[in-house]
Amino acid sequence: MSLKIELRYEENDNLIVVIPEGDIDIYTSHNFKEKVLNSFENNKGNIAIDGSKLEYVDSTGLGALISILKRARETDNKVIITNLKPNIKKLFDITELDKVFTIRGESND
Amino acid sequence: MTKDNIYLKIPCKPDYISLVRLTTSAIAHNLKLCIDEIEDIKVCIGEACINVINQKNKDEISIQFEVNEDKLIIMVNDVTDDLESDTEGFKEEELGLLIIKSLMDEVDFTDKGINMIKYIE
Repeated sequence: MSLKIELRYEENDNLIVVIPEGDIDIYTSHNFKEKVLNSFENNKGNIAIDGSKLEYVDSTGLGALISILKRARETDNKVIITNLKPNIKKLFDITELDKVFTIRGESND
Repeated sequence: MTKDNIYLKIPCKPDYISLVRLTTSAIAHNLKLCIDEIEDIKVCIGEACINVINQKNKDEISIQFEVNEDKLIIMVNDVTDDLESDTEGFKEEELGLLIIKSLMDEVDFTDKGINMIKYIE
């Protein structure tokens, strides 16, 4: 398994949309973090991560998301995570990261 | 009662973790565990391997699957819950252990490593 990352900046909403497809794990999490943070350096906006194509996340993936959140907070930006599959959402609940990130069911609510 | 043992030894590198996850998933699938339980076990074996890789001084990861009639025991050598204290507050390693303890039915640390148990209904 691997990870494909679709990234785009929506200027009207000042929003960075991230669509990871596959696994954010010990093999891919570093690259994921770098790509998202690079995009954030270019356009300091809120970051919306669409989890609908995400199959697997481990603790290094959660760590990468926390690093992204920390950087976003420095400029009062938010990280919104949507459409997580139940097996991944469970990890956010266990680690209480569901209280730290803005997690939503649908990408448009 | 019969016990079947499966041994897996991999280089201590992130490159091989997906292979371990797939193998673990196949073993759990054979035991007729449900999809949710298989996912839980996959996450836990991944976290156990990450724990060993993060210690940075190991060459290989040694895994034993003991298949019993009523339970699956997964033993991973060198997994430790003795984490170096970090003033930064947050540690991925702590998240990993928290996840393992939450998702498995029983978790023991021995002088060899970790034993993770999932009961078969």
